[in-house]
Amino acid sequence: MSTVTRADPATPAGSAHAALRERRPLGDRSFQILALACGLLVLVILVLIAVSTSQQASSWFSAEGFKVFTNNWNPAANQFGALAFIYGTAITAVIALIMAVPVSIGIALLLTEVVPYRWSRPIVYVIDLLAVVPSVVWGLWGIIVFAPWIQHIYTSIASGVTGIPVLDSLFGAPTSGASFFTAGIILAFMITPIVTSLSREVIATVPQIDREGAYALGATRWEMIRGAVWPHSQGGVVGAVLLGLGRAMGETIAVALVIGSSATITSHLFAPGYNMAAVIANQFGEATGEFRAALMGIGVLLFAFTIIINIIARWVVERSARRKRGA
Amino acid sequence: MPVGRRQRVATVGVAAVATALGLAACSSSSSSTAASSSSSAASSASSSSSAKLSGTLNGSGSTFQTTFQETAISSFKSVQPNMTVNYGSGGSGKGRTDLSSGVVNYAGSDSTIPAAEEANFKGKTVLYFPVIIGPITLSYNLSGLSKPLQLSAPVIAGIFQGKITNWNNSAIAADNPGVTLPSTPITIVVRSDSSGTTQNFSLFLMTATPSTWTLGSSSTIKWPSTARAGNGNGGVASAIKSTPGAIGYVDYSDAKASGLTFASIKNKDGNYVAPSSASASAAADGVTISPTLTFHAVWGTGAQAYPITYQSWVLVYETQPNANDAAMLKAYIGYLLGPMQQMSGSLGYAPLPSSLDQMATAQLSKIAS
Amino acid sequence: MAAVAGQPQQLDLREPKGWRRTSNRIVTWLMVLAFVLVVIPLGFVLVTTVVKGASIISWQFLTSSIPPNVAPADIGGMGPAIVGTIEITALATIMAVPLGILGAIYLNEYGGKNWLAALIGFFSDVMTGVPSIIMGLFIFTIWVLHFGFSGFAGALALACLMLPIVIRSTYEMLRLVPNALREGSYALGATKARVTMTVVLPAALGGIVSGAMLAVARAVGETAPLLFTILIVTTVNKNPFSGANTSLPSQIFVNANSPFVGAQARGWGAALTLIVIAFVLMVVARFITARFSRFSR
Repeated sequence: MSTVTRADPATPAGSAHAALRERRPLGDRSFQILALACGLLVLVILVLIAVSTSQQASSWFSAEGFKVFTNNWNPAANQFGALAFIYGTAITAVIALIMAVPVSIGIALLLTEVVPYRWSRPIVYVIDLLAVVPSVVWGLWGIIVFAPWIQHIYTSIASGVTGIPVLDSLFGAPTSGASFFTAGIILAFMITPIVTSLSREVIATVPQIDREGAYALGATRWEMIRGAVWPHSQGGVVGAVLLGLGRAMGETIAVALVIGSSATITSHLFAPGYNMAAVIANQFGEATGEFRAALMGIGVLLFAFTIIINIIARWVVERSARRKRGA
Repeated sequence: MPVGRRQRVATVGVAAVATALGLAACSSSSSSTAASSSSSAASSASSSSSAKLSGTLNGSGSTFQTTFQETAISSFKSVQPNMTVNYGSGGSGKGRTDLSSGVVNYAGSDSTIPAAEEANFKGKTVLYFPVIIGPITLSYNLSGLSKPLQLSAPVIAGIFQGKITNWNNSAIAADNPGVTLPSTPITIVVRSDSSGTTQNFSLFLMTATPSTWTLGSSSTIKWPSTARAGNGNGGVASAIKSTPGAIGYVDYSDAKASGLTFASIKNKDGNYVAPSSASASAAADGVTISPTLTFHAVWGTGAQAYPITYQSWVLVYETQPNANDAAMLKAYIGYLLGPMQQMSGSLGYAPLPSSLDQMATAQLSKIAS
Repeated sequence: MAAVAGQPQQLDLREPKGWRRTSNRIVTWLMVLAFVLVVIPLGFVLVTTVVKGASIISWQFLTSSIPPNVAPADIGGMGPAIVGTIEITALATIMAVPLGILGAIYLNEYGGKNWLAALIGFFSDVMTGVPSIIMGLFIFTIWVLHFGFSGFAGALALACLMLPIVIRSTYEMLRLVPNALREGSYALGATKARVTMTVVLPAALGGIVSGAMLAVARAVGETAPLLFTILIVTTVNKNPFSGANTSLPSQIFVNANSPFVGAQARGWGAALTLIVIAFVLMVVARFITARFSRFSR
């Protein structure tokens, strides 16, 4: 949140809580306490999430210790090493970012630099429409329409790269419509709105005078973007990308439907895989005992990763906003 | 109009529209009727008690039973209109989990409670009511074959352990003399959830070809890393349908309804038998039934028996928390064992052998509160 | 730009030539391409959903009960799912919106610059990024394990999801209300609570309502928090406080895994219904912002 606040005439700056100690009407004081309680609810919920899920997962952590980070997932034999899922989350998120970030920044620049204001409204509506499509509809379309269609493309690519050293291990067989790469593509569609809108906000705060200065020196639009816009906004855009990363890691339902449900670590991006959020969604209903604790533990890890990435992202955005204001 | 009033009108308007929508949906769905008129045959037969019961029964579990349960639920509405029955599929493992945690009144499970899960039931007696028998098909997606595929147990074991990777492998050709097989790579499709179908399929492989099958028999198997998994029998069927070169194990009822082609499997007597209601009944005829009504129908004897025939039970606690639950369960399970057995064939299952049906119906009296 | 010492500079007013111009053109077209790349899949999804869903949607579809999955497409419908969605989302909204508004009031009116408000504000933003499935696991742990599955449990999970969104959007709206309004009220002797409730909130109401509607649009489409809290069933349950329930996104999830043509067709119908609901909420929210918010940036 922005740190710009208004001076509050009823209570001198910084003494909001001192006001509680003064003699004020009971209704006024209780309203303030109520509002404070609702605000604290956010922190309370976050702490409760961390505590309750870790508690449920404790038997997994204690039974496996550091083996939770091994690639050894075999519920029938009571083995619950979760590395395959961490790998899957990382890979699908990276694929999604590689595709979504250039596109999102491109659209953000299009909206702020190229397109006149009248034409920007329809484009913004299209981006909003992209954001409003629910995750489960992406998954439905993905598994019924997209996956069978793209499987043909995967097979052609795989047969085309057989034998070529690096490309074969990335894009070679086995291929499946439901795979890491398909999940990555669908995730890219889903994170584009958030990265675009946040980048656009950041880029829009670049002072107009810098842009005009660059144009005055005879720069083309591209040179102006490179010289005036980018240095100002790169911090904020990095923050936006990190937020997109957090969203890509946590997106569950669409991924659960199109990822192929195979707990394996492989370099073949067209092969079926699995991912932390997807395994919880697919397997939690039937799990008991240590299996359930393991899935809870994977949830705890996912929570920890996304919280850390979100904290870094928000801090980066805030820091670049602050620097810009001071500049 | 001053701005404040406009805002108030907007909020009230939005609220009114939302309430109207909600009321409309609530009132019209309460008078909706299930339109499955095809099940009128089962609803006409009247079974045991004509006493009108009311309440809700919840069940979950085996996806093998899903079509059976869903059809029974909608036609049972005409027998007991004030009772609501819900069945949520999720796999046999989920059914047993839900029953042990008290979330459902009955579970659908294709396998008996494994030793590892016994402790969850805290010593309470669970009754097994067999309700359906049916084949597990090996469904595949391969075009241009002159005859339906034939497979034997060692070949299936090779395919599902990742040792046989192409359709024109010599082992598959040996089972299919005279058929030209394409060189397409094989994609195996398996279950991602804890499944009784998996357990029975792997039991078949373990019993029929113990030397080649090394992955054991359980509700979840550590399949080769190239396997693609689907959720429930339906998910596997979807995956096979949309992937050329795929092969997977799906129960007959779902495979038939999805329009899949399936292979004929070599049985114990050496004949290649296609899955059907008749070949499943043939397999069920020779089974040994334990006093608790549990049995295994895989790899049975019989010239026309389908070797991968399996069964599914409804599991309930012997002691119910109250008399109404006990009465509702007796009525519903009695319906499954009675009029629904006549419908099994048309749904893709085989009806229970009559001796087994009688034993199960007799066990109904054990449910008490 | 040649500059000779002592003479006034010659400004070169010609257009950029050669590589500079070409690179500028390329980049502009790349940006347009980016937009096209986004429109294509969106178009595909929407067109597919509309085409496949419209053929099955009818009043009967919206009100009939959910048939067995094998049933052909013209039988049954998604009535219980629509009822469930309305029940659960309404409960979640009733819980999340007032609490969110009060929280934002604390942040803007009482918190000021103090460390607690900054902390709450920061973590409220962070909370919007928590995956929705974690909310489901959380409510499963603290509620479902003790009180069983119910529509209310699902509503709790959705409310946790909506709360930070409502706080954020309400806070932004409250900030825009000019201080002069508050000062005028104080000058007349009103207490702070009274000022907030009778002056500030009504002034920001348009924006608050639209922000709440966007949060509802997000909640309506969520499946993951409901997976472990409502035990997806197919019958209608008018009582959201006890017993299993269902919702549109949950049914779509179940039907997506089904190979039966009828079940998939019903899934598309439900998807179209869901998109229409979310879209209508979004459009109305934008309309309210455009027409009814008094103050904007």
